[in-house]
Amino acid sequence: MYLYLHYEEPVCADLQDERYAQGRGFIAKAVNGCHTASLTTPEDKEQAQQIHHEDLLNLILGVLRSWNDPLVHLASEVQRIKEAPETILWKAVEIEEQNKRLLEGMEKIVGRVHSGEVGNDIYTPWEGLPSLQLADEDSRLFAFYNLLHCLRRDSHKIDNYLKVLKCRLIHDNNC
Amino acid sequence: MKPRLISSAQIILQLALTAVGLTGQSYPGKPQIIRCRSLEKETFSCWWKPGSDGGLPSNYTLFYSKDSEEKIYECPDYLTSGPNSCYFDKNHTNPWTTYIITVMATNEIGSNSSDPQHVDVTSIVQPDAPVNLSLETNTSANVSYLWAKWSPPPLADASSNSHVYHYELRLKPEEKEEWETVSVGMQTHYEVTSLQAGAKYIVQVRCMLDLGEWSEWSLERRIQIPKGECLPPAKPTIVKCRSPEKETFTCWWKPASDGGLSTNHTLLYSKEGEEKVYECPDYKTAGPNSCYFDKKHTSFWTIYNITVRATNEMGSNVSDPHYVDVTYIVQPDPPVNITLELKKIWMEWEVRMLQSFTISVGQQTQCKMFSLNPGKRYIVQIHCKPDHHGLWSEWSPEMYIEVPTDFRVKDMVVWIIVGVLSSLICLIMSWIMILKGYRMMAFILPPVPGPKIKGIDTHLLETGKSEELLSALGCHGFPPTSDCEELLIEYLEVEDSEDQQLMPSHDTPSKNTRIILKETDNDSGRGSCDSPSLLPVKCRESRSLPSPLQTQDVKAKEKKGRKGSWETQCTASEQKTLPCNNESTKSCTWLAVQLPSNQPAMFAYHSTVDAFKITLNTTNMNSSPVLVGNEENHQSLYPIAETVYDDIEKKSEMANSKTDQITMQVRQNQHNDKSPFLNPKLMDYVEVHKVRQDEEPTLLLKQKESSRKSKKCTVPGTSKEYTKVSTVVDHHILVLLPDQRTQHPPVSQEPVAETSQNPQQSQTEKNTSYSMTTPSDSRRDTSGSDYMDPSSFMPSFK
Repeated sequence: MYLYLHYEEPVCADLQDERYAQGRGFIAKAVNGCHTASLTTPEDKEQAQQIHHEDLLNLILGVLRSWNDPLVHLASEVQRIKEAPETILWKAVEIEEQNKRLLEGMEKIVGRVHSGEVGNDIYTPWEGLPSLQLADEDSRLFAFYNLLHCLRRDSHKIDNYLKVLKCRLIHDNNC
Repeated sequence: MKPRLISSAQIILQLALTAVGLTGQSYPGKPQIIRCRSLEKETFSCWWKPGSDGGLPSNYTLFYSKDSEEKIYECPDYLTSGPNSCYFDKNHTNPWTTYIITVMATNEIGSNSSDPQHVDVTSIVQPDAPVNLSLETNTSANVSYLWAKWSPPPLADASSNSHVYHYELRLKPEEKEEWETVSVGMQTHYEVTSLQAGAKYIVQVRCMLDLGEWSEWSLERRIQIPKGECLPPAKPTIVKCRSPEKETFTCWWKPASDGGLSTNHTLLYSKEGEEKVYECPDYKTAGPNSCYFDKKHTSFWTIYNITVRATNEMGSNVSDPHYVDVTYIVQPDPPVNITLELKKIWMEWEVRMLQSFTISVGQQTQCKMFSLNPGKRYIVQIHCKPDHHGLWSEWSPEMYIEVPTDFRVKDMVVWIIVGVLSSLICLIMSWIMILKGYRMMAFILPPVPGPKIKGIDTHLLETGKSEELLSALGCHGFPPTSDCEELLIEYLEVEDSEDQQLMPSHDTPSKNTRIILKETDNDSGRGSCDSPSLLPVKCRESRSLPSPLQTQDVKAKEKKGRKGSWETQCTASEQKTLPCNNESTKSCTWLAVQLPSNQPAMFAYHSTVDAFKITLNTTNMNSSPVLVGNEENHQSLYPIAETVYDDIEKKSEMANSKTDQITMQVRQNQHNDKSPFLNPKLMDYVEVHKVRQDEEPTLLLKQKESSRKSKKCTVPGTSKEYTKVSTVVDHHILVLLPDQRTQHPPVSQEPVAETSQNPQQSQTEKNTSYSMTTPSDSRRDTSGSDYMDPSSFMPSFK
């Protein structure tokens, strides 16, 4: 029932560190803010534990939804990076599919939990596609880095929220 | 002499003075020469200390004499060296002379003179101290130098400047007590390097001529040495940040050189998205050069921008920024309380908490590991990692465990037991095999059954209840004669004879009727006359569709010692057309009806038709009566050979002409060609009773009693005759081929009940769709009595 994003973690880390090392100075600029920043997410364990699980599920759903579109574009745009190793390409595709599956699963779960209909409220549109298609290689790479950095963080967030939920619902907070 | 004189004079004077003194005034006291010194070996001076003056002003006079001379001289100069001194200038100084100097104090009353002083110029040389000592410091590259400069002691004479002095310098930091003395040489300057930065030094110099003594130390000079270069501190670096449990974290930095001054470090951070800069909340908890962020100050999923600033009196320096996201720096402490246990479990070793060779244990806190090599020593270490994004902790301390090797005994026991058991089992199995070998073989490989008469219970036969059997069979005259017994054949041979009378069916239709028989391997026994496959092909004209019946060599019958007549008679020839059609009055053709093998009981010889019927019923779905009338277009899978005669009419006519001829005509199934195969069926023979036209023909299935009938077969005219049954029609109509040799009653066809009625087709009755034509006699002759083995088509006669 619970899907884990743990798979995405090392992938994102690889993708980030491989191409966009800190030496490039990207990380200094990378705190530009992710497009999902507008979703108010709990920032630590206590906050996450205090949120009602329905809200948490909705939040997770919102994040997953918000990432659906960017991942699609990421998978297609990443192929245009010069000298991109093969692994990046198929990993990007894999992540995108994984996200879709996750989203479907989560929607099912939420559908079950929520007797009512699943609200589509929480969703952040992504407008970063042009930045992935910039002509300047460096700027484009930086855009990728930023996106991946946000993806890594968000997937980690979702992973943690799911774990909190699991702990709460299955183990009665005994984990 | 002179000194004695002087001294005596002095005594006198002194006496006089004392005499006078008694009056209150006396002669002066005795002066004392303090010292004599030469500055430069060319002049010298003496100083004296006057005694009491006796109340009256005294005059001092210095008298000296050289040791080599008696002459007394007076001091040439009383002024230069100051009061109470005498200065001997160059002209009066002889360095190699010893001077005896006396000072006399004189007043009105008397005089007094000092003790004479022997002065050796060379021994009293002592220059003055150098003067004009000046000090300077210089600091370059954190090293301080001290420059000392002075001047030689001044002398009255300029010529003294040519003297060469040796100098000595001494210095010490102000606080210290010990001087550091440096021999300078003859120069008047000196550089000191080994200085303590920041200390105040006192410096003095003195000089010396080649003779004599060192001068006094010059006046002190003090100087402050600077404290080297005061640099601002170098840039510190942040070493690492770690979070042990994902709720707090700590950062460590490494300070660089402090530039000689004490430095303070401060850690400043700012969070992602915020401008405000905070300072480290706790410098102490995690040790020196660290900063500990507690729960309140730890936020996840935010990037911290952390820097360290080092400050000293000269300035400050900031490290490079370090970006940290707490979620990615989680590294737990290594696991503790590791216990290793070795357990013997029946040839397995169980080791707990083992993680060598970096086996991933997952999330358990226990791990079992098997298949360890005995006798080896294992080192165990464990480390852990939080979920998937953290870092592996440090390895726990090594633990050692040794796997003993003494499990072989149990191992052997097991194998021994296994071996014994298996050998026992093998013995039992072989014993069983031996005892019941046959049965088992029979079970495994069923033997090929020999042919038996269908419908005849051998057991019954054996038991001799022949009557019952016969009655069951509806036959009489049992047991069969020996002839027939001889005719019993167990099998049918297909002989490759010249005659090839019975040829296997060809696919190509031939004009001859072919009757192909297939021998069945039906287990039912057959009577001697029940040659299953004796099916002579009747020579019939007309087209014949190939029937898939395999013709059996009639000659097989020969082998059985059949009466030759049979054979010849039963010879069927495919190739032969049906010549007998025309001539033979007998039916040459006979058919051995093949019954489907699943026709078990063939007792009912009586009713061949029934047999046929049953056969037909039980044959293939597609099968249909072989005998097919015109209107019937059945597939003839029926193993009955069919003969089609074109000239049925003719035959019939012919037959008609011969009333006593039985004409049988077999009309071949139009679609016989579609009957490609014939089930190997038994060919049974039907005993045909000649039937008068007015009689009901009967067919008797041949049996073992056929031997008797064989006679009859051979002997024409008997009432019984064996006629070949060509086909069965309508499941109840037996088409027989009349025996032309004998005066067969016309075989009429009639529906046959379940009795032993033999349906025969009568010439006259053309009810059926077929008629029987008499086969040619010649055919008949050659063919012998045609008979049909009825067992095959005997219905289940129990």
